[in-house]
Amino acid sequence: MATVIVGLVIGALFGAALVLAALADPDKIIGTLRLKDFHAMRTIAVFVLVGMLGTWILGLVGLANLSIKPTTLVTVLIGGSLLGIGFGLTGFCPGTGLACAASGRIDALVTVIGMFAGALAYIFIHPSVAAPLEKIADYGKVTLPQMTNTPAAAWVIPLFAVGTLVLVLTKPKRG
Amino acid sequence: MDDLTVRRGPLHWWAAGLLLGLVQVLAVGLKKPLGVSTQFVVADAKMVSAVAPDYAETHPLISKEKYQKFGYGWWLDVGLVIGAFSATIVIRRWKLQATTVWWRQNHGASILTRLIAGFCGGFLILLGARFAHGCTSGQFASGWAQLSLSVIPFTVTLFGFGMLTAYLVCPKTPVVDK
Repeated sequence: MATVIVGLVIGALFGAALVLAALADPDKIIGTLRLKDFHAMRTIAVFVLVGMLGTWILGLVGLANLSIKPTTLVTVLIGGSLLGIGFGLTGFCPGTGLACAASGRIDALVTVIGMFAGALAYIFIHPSVAAPLEKIADYGKVTLPQMTNTPAAAWVIPLFAVGTLVLVLTKPKRG
Repeated sequence: MDDLTVRRGPLHWWAAGLLLGLVQVLAVGLKKPLGVSTQFVVADAKMVSAVAPDYAETHPLISKEKYQKFGYGWWLDVGLVIGAFSATIVIRRWKLQATTVWWRQNHGASILTRLIAGFCGGFLILLGARFAHGCTSGQFASGWAQLSLSVIPFTVTLFGFGMLTAYLVCPKTPVVDK
């Protein structure tokens, strides 16, 4: 029961935040991918930096629940490319597609239906295509600090500092 | 404001990013980093199990417990839909629409082309997300939060192909209200 409530609450906050952040707006996403409207790019940058800093701090006090994805290099490259093409074509990703469908977008609803078809195709091709490819260049569930044998602080602090500096220096006139 | 202008976002970029980042930190603190796309496979796995139980039981992927139960990730996606719906109602942006400003600027008023592109794009999005073990939430945002090695090749291909595709599909730029 606790799992259901925690999932619903975090999901509801995430869905509302995607709408308020205008990431659940395909025009803002395409504008950012076309380098014509930097609102979404700046929002994503702050999202990533705050998430990184907060996760690191939670880790220091032993409260972080992590879930590192395996770096199966070939399938990550294939997957990132296919997802990128779909992302650039529609302006949606799985989270924002669901959020946009919930906010009255028929095109998002059709995209979500396409996603269910894509997931089904993945189930069918997983044993013969994806599983063998995952075995090539599989680096396992590894982080950048582990890979380079460096402390996480050596990544988080410089990335956060440089990222914040760039965002401040390139700040648009309207806030 | 006319129909061919991209609207401003409801929040400033820094407030929007901060809000999303804090949701991520809350998720990491309470349960598990954010992720969305796995549950599409869970839903399809349930369907496959109902239609072809023998196939599903011996399938190396969907026979795993993770794909057979409605857990935290499932309820996160249900919550996401409820939260997004509620937020658009509250800020008065819930609106029945089927195309975008960028699409109309480049491909005219036809909704059919937008919907066909949407279905094909959705197919590629989820197929790709599963190949990569995660989407823009679980692999990109949560990958950076945890500094996973996989986030580097994922970020390069996601935004590289995203920018290339957007450039080829939508070369003409509409008016953007900044």
